Amino acid sequence: MSAGGPKAGRDGRAGEQRFLDPAVLARLGTLELRARTIVEGFLSGLHRSPFRGFSVEFAEYRQYLPGDDLSTIDWKVYARSDRYYVKKFEEDTNLDCYLLLDVSASMGYGSRPSTMLGAARTAGERRGLSKLEYASMLAASLAYLMNRQRDAVGLTAFDERIVAMLPPSARTGHLHQVLLELERLRLGTGTNVAKPLQVLADGIAKRGMIVLISDLLDDPERVIDGIRPFRFRGTDVIVFHVLDRDELTFPFERATRFRDIEGSEEMMAVPSAVRAHYLAELNRATERFRQEFGSIGIDYRLIDTSEPLESALTAYLATRARTR
Amino acid sequence: MSFLSPLFLLGALAAAVPLALHLFHRRTEPVVPFAAMRYLRRTPVEDSRWRRFKELLLLALRVAAALLLALAFARPFLPQAAGALERAATLVLIDTSASLSAPGQLDRLRAIATDVIRSAPVGQSVGVVTFSQGADVIAPLSDDRAGALAAVTKLTLGAGATRYRSAFARAAEQLGNRPGRIVVVTDLQQSGWDAAGEGVLPERVDVELRPVPAPAGNLAVSALTVDSGDAVATIQSYAADGVTTQVAFAIDGHPIGTTPVTVPARGAMDVRVSLDGRQNGALSAAVVDRDGYVADNTRFALLDTNAAPSVLALSASGRDEEVFYLSRALSIGNDADVFRFRAIGSPAFSDLKPDDLATVDVLAILGTRGLDQRGRDLVAAYVRSGGGLLVSAGPQVDPVVVGRVLNGTTHSMMAARNAAPLGFAPDDSRHPVFRVFGGVGTLSSVSFTRSVLLTPGDRAEVIARYSDGSPALVEEQIGDGRVLMFGSDLNHEWNDFPVQPAFVPFVHEALRYLASARLAHREYLVGDLPGNIVPGIVAVGRTESPGAKRPGYPATNPPTPATQPPGTPATRRVAVNVDPREFDPAALTPDAFRAAVGRLRQAGASREAEAATEQADRQRLWQIALAVMVVGLVAEGALGRRLG
Repeated sequence: MSAGGPKAGRDGRAGEQRFLDPAVLARLGTLELRARTIVEGFLSGLHRSPFRGFSVEFAEYRQYLPGDDLSTIDWKVYARSDRYYVKKFEEDTNLDCYLLLDVSASMGYGSRPSTMLGAARTAGERRGLSKLEYASMLAASLAYLMNRQRDAVGLTAFDERIVAMLPPSARTGHLHQVLLELERLRLGTGTNVAKPLQVLADGIAKRGMIVLISDLLDDPERVIDGIRPFRFRGTDVIVFHVLDRDELTFPFERATRFRDIEGSEEMMAVPSAVRAHYLAELNRATERFRQEFGSIGIDYRLIDTSEPLESALTAYLATRARTR
Repeated sequence: MSFLSPLFLLGALAAAVPLALHLFHRRTEPVVPFAAMRYLRRTPVEDSRWRRFKELLLLALRVAAALLLALAFARPFLPQAAGALERAATLVLIDTSASLSAPGQLDRLRAIATDVIRSAPVGQSVGVVTFSQGADVIAPLSDDRAGALAAVTKLTLGAGATRYRSAFARAAEQLGNRPGRIVVVTDLQQSGWDAAGEGVLPERVDVELRPVPAPAGNLAVSALTVDSGDAVATIQSYAADGVTTQVAFAIDGHPIGTTPVTVPARGAMDVRVSLDGRQNGALSAAVVDRDGYVADNTRFALLDTNAAPSVLALSASGRDEEVFYLSRALSIGNDADVFRFRAIGSPAFSDLKPDDLATVDVLAILGTRGLDQRGRDLVAAYVRSGGGLLVSAGPQVDPVVVGRVLNGTTHSMMAARNAAPLGFAPDDSRHPVFRVFGGVGTLSSVSFTRSVLLTPGDRAEVIARYSDGSPALVEEQIGDGRVLMFGSDLNHEWNDFPVQPAFVPFVHEALRYLASARLAHREYLVGDLPGNIVPGIVAVGRTESPGAKRPGYPATNPPTPATQPPGTPATRRVAVNVDPREFDPAALTPDAFRAAVGRLRQAGASREAEAATEQADRQRLWQIALAVMVVGLVAEGALGRRLG
């Protein structure tokens, strides 16, 4: 199934027209509706994908016991060993998934329309989808998907501290609570990824999956150091590094005074003069995340908020498929 | 540096726009909240001082562009004579014309000029220029005031007419770039501004008027002529009352009579005295006028019999029958109008020397047979030296020879054509030759049986035409000389013109017209001839100056004897008198004078503007300014992009 990841990605890109634009999705009513729209659409596309049957997997053989379904007897093994063995299909209903959502102030950044890149942003000016809105939709979609797979899903929102936390559960109605909590989330202050991860690490008792959704605008060392312990405990980790298109391309044109969204710092810059350095710094950081996370088996995905969420779901499923 | 359109320099105020924007709207860059500051923070930050320098450079380029645009539209130029500013000067213009020759006026001139020189501000240069017809610097601009005072002490009067324009032109030349003032000491002669000229007056120079009072009245000999053997002098009075005086006539300085006369107030009276048959000599008439101008108390005229036009007719042999009708026509008239006529054959003509033709006013070619190359060259030289030439067609005139004669002299041609009966009419009845006919008149009865085809040259003028439209009489001006080509004969062979009543006046007017160039030069006004010539009888000689386009008339003064010494056949005597416009003592008002000065200043300003325009066009500084501005804008664009 792991081999299906890249292919699925290609299929996903090829069929991008099928996917709804995140900005369009954002105008749908509730987060639950958005998540359902995303996931159902995504899954309907998967009927043609190699992910088919992921939730009913062969685990082991065991001797036939009275009451077992006769259709599960493996007749080939019987022919070789003259004993009745049945195929054991394992369903991952025991997996605990933790959605870690960064709600720091920097997640409130959203692109401006491209026509306004050269102009100053004024109050009330219409902005594009913010990173938090995108991340919330992604988290909701993942929660919906996990719930559909009967995985237990929990939610932890943080900025410099944990601002909301729902423990994982597969109970009926838990998904609704998760989605409701996502709806309630508001932007916080500064980013400190390590601290909530540490708290979370202490609280996770059994093997599970951590899904971190953040712009990672924090000290990379702290981020990596915060995540690394999960992996050492055998927990699968997937990191969605969510960045806005403006942050990825730095398309500003005229001299601009950039103000830190998480503070009061201002910096005057001529985009044409600093663009190359900025992009180089960004690439260096993402590349480091990719290498560091990759080296410890953490799946790292750089997400552009202008891209459909399906690619992120695909990444999740690829990681989930590896999880035993 | 000066400007053709300095008002456009106001456009330089536009330079204040980028300046104001720079000073008062410096934070024009948008403020953008941004999340990924940590990556931006790591980019190398431009040194604020370097950025500040580039901003100032950008500002300087924008300001310079605005200034250069305004500069280009103002059309700058560098004045040629733009030297260092010199010290201010006082230039005294002293009128020494004939109208300052009344008793006491010279002393008044000296006193005023002395006062002006002495009262000139300390540190100013002082100069003195005298003027009448022309202007002479008697004390150049300098600090030598003693020298200027000495020059004023030695001041003498002339007999020329008042010419303010030439005086101001000389003054402007003397002042050059100096600021200062021109003090004009003059009697405000009314005719002083009449003559056209190239006077200029720089705007930086003030003009101060110091008038010298004119006499209350003046008595002048305004004309002197000969009429029926009498010398006739016209005495003009400009006095408010009648004046009684004596008119003394003299020939070559010997009195021939004195006649008393009473001239009415502001009137004129003719006075006669018999010449007793005298036909040669320098006639003069003088009145006694103790209060008026001295220069106009005497007038001169020539009694020379050779005042009548001299006509030399060239024919094949010079015999009377070849020039019969012309000679008879020229012999008709009273004593004053009679022509001095002589006929000459071609061989004899060829033996003449150029000087022999100096006293000939008109050369009439009635026959070309036997005219050799030397004779042809003589004719051409005569015309080029200012003589009048009449070329008549006829059976004795070969058009080919005429062409050779006139080759290089005139471009008009003569060619034979078939005989045909034709009429004859002036092309322009106002031409001096036909003015006496008052239109076609009796010319319409002339009948031509034969004629030649005249082809006028580029500079020739057709003044009469045959009834078929072809030219009958063509005139061409060649230097001082004139050529008339008549398309038929003057000896009653190809037409009946000589037996028509119009023939005599036609011949008289045509020959007088041809001779007028020389005859008119027998009486001159002071200033017409070069040199410092005073009224009297003057001998002038024609010389050909090497390289000169026109012959000059070097004059000698005082009057030479009536009889010229042998060997000077080209020398002529002329009478020189005072310009009659100087006789009237009525003066301009100071305001009228200042108004004329104002007009002169305007004319000078417009001339300076034209010169400035030419200089600006030649120097093309505005184009350079625009080019620099474009380069500056390109640099500004590049720098602006770097600065965002």
